[in-house]
Amino acid sequence: MCAKHQVVKTLLWDFHVKELNASMGEFGGWEVPMIYTGIMKEHMIVRTDCGIFDVSHMGRIKVTGPDVIPFLQKIYTKDISKTKDYWMSGPTLALNEHARVKDDEMPYKISDEEWLIIANAPYREKMLKHYDKVIKENGFKVKVEDLTFKLAMIAVQGPKTVEVFEKMGAGRVDDLHTLQFRMNEEIAGKKVFLISRSGWTGEDGFEIWAEPKAMVEIYRALLKAGAKPVGTVCRDTLRIEMGFVLGGHEYEEDPTKFPPANSLRYGMGAIDWDKHGFIGEEALRAYRREGVRWIRVGIRMRKKHARAILRFGYPLYIEDQYAGWVTSGTYSPYLKRSVGQAYIDARYAIFGDFVEVEIRGKRYEGRILDFPLIPGRPVVK
Amino acid sequence: MSVVEFEVAGKKYLAKTDVRYTKTDEWAKKEDNKVREGITDYAQKELKDIVGIELPEVGAEVKKGEVIGALESVKATADLYAAVSGKVVEVNERLLEEPELLNKDPYGEGWILVIEMADPKEFDELLTPEAYVEMHKKAGH
Repeated sequence: MCAKHQVVKTLLWDFHVKELNASMGEFGGWEVPMIYTGIMKEHMIVRTDCGIFDVSHMGRIKVTGPDVIPFLQKIYTKDISKTKDYWMSGPTLALNEHARVKDDEMPYKISDEEWLIIANAPYREKMLKHYDKVIKENGFKVKVEDLTFKLAMIAVQGPKTVEVFEKMGAGRVDDLHTLQFRMNEEIAGKKVFLISRSGWTGEDGFEIWAEPKAMVEIYRALLKAGAKPVGTVCRDTLRIEMGFVLGGHEYEEDPTKFPPANSLRYGMGAIDWDKHGFIGEEALRAYRREGVRWIRVGIRMRKKHARAILRFGYPLYIEDQYAGWVTSGTYSPYLKRSVGQAYIDARYAIFGDFVEVEIRGKRYEGRILDFPLIPGRPVVK
Repeated sequence: MSVVEFEVAGKKYLAKTDVRYTKTDEWAKKEDNKVREGITDYAQKELKDIVGIELPEVGAEVKKGEVIGALESVKATADLYAAVSGKVVEVNERLLEEPELLNKDPYGEGWILVIEMADPKEFDELLTPEAYVEMHKKAGH
């Protein structure tokens, strides 16, 4: 017998299947829209136009109470005391005691005593248990409420997103700065719980949380204004180009299989070294002091190997010496090249140098690069 | 056109009636003592966007059912199996630059290779179009 495996349908399931003819599939215990019109096509819609992702599978958790700030400071590597009201703190990491990443999450500050957290879908339940444990162990006065099954969430992404919002008469939204959010406003005549200027694609865009019924109406209005549905598969190809990390590929909790958080080079201020007292700090500082063995880098395959696709676990070689392994890979329709992410031995982590990747017994050459792997995206204020 | 449409779990697929099939979703077309091979419409729809292919070398001796190449889709790598035993006499090098032909025209411009058969009887052992469609309909239940 197989282990009991429950799959939850996204809150917008009917809409995707009956109206948008989506090809559905499983991600992180959820049945989500994988593809609508074609992965590469959808990828380029996000890079050049405006696409709508259903991201209702993402864990959305509300934490309230007088001890929320000490609670969040205990969980995360970032100093969230610097975050202002109605701003997201920027992505940060929740570690275990081995300095391995439990989840990379995004805290949203409404007020000192009221915050929202976005957790990755595959880790939501694990993290809820972790929060409870931390609250109990420290006697924190914090209430945790899971909003995941109440609110749908979409990410509208791409250089033409502001244009689309204007066209649908959404009201003023482009005054929001990157990582800023507002709550309880109307878009397309429907009440939304939250709108933020954010995403996970490297492009400009907004993320909206709303009740499922209202969300379908907002989705329809966005389509009418020229946005196009884009699926979960191209979220992966987009994030690989940008150098964003994914659990199970670039990080996991097991210290025998994955390097510590230092090796991720997560960036975006996810770790604050001035901060003290968070879970995993001791191990994280020890790795910082002693140095890390592995460094996460980007790889862009040479033009003649443009179609040699990198997959998790493929070994890397330099001058016949084992030098690391691939963590993610895809074909970048933007660069028309095979690209990927890898952990490389720190001694060989020289940007611009070449590395060989072994694919089914043959070696193919690529260049070691920093992220993002695509030319700089327009910076939004 | 010599094509039939069949449905599995609500999705529609095309099968050609003038070719034979493997259980691993390759088609094989007899051309005198040679066999032209490619992947079926079902295979390309399952794989979705195909972005790369690894072809065998011309001149390679292959055995029926043996892995002779790989198809890279955005989501996964799939093996390509030899439909019959023999010598590879031609490969479709265009696919190296335009693997999307495998999605666009799997029975036509997306052909993969031609094998000179070592034992022509092997071709007759391949699935008939009816048996191929039946196999998928059964598996879909």
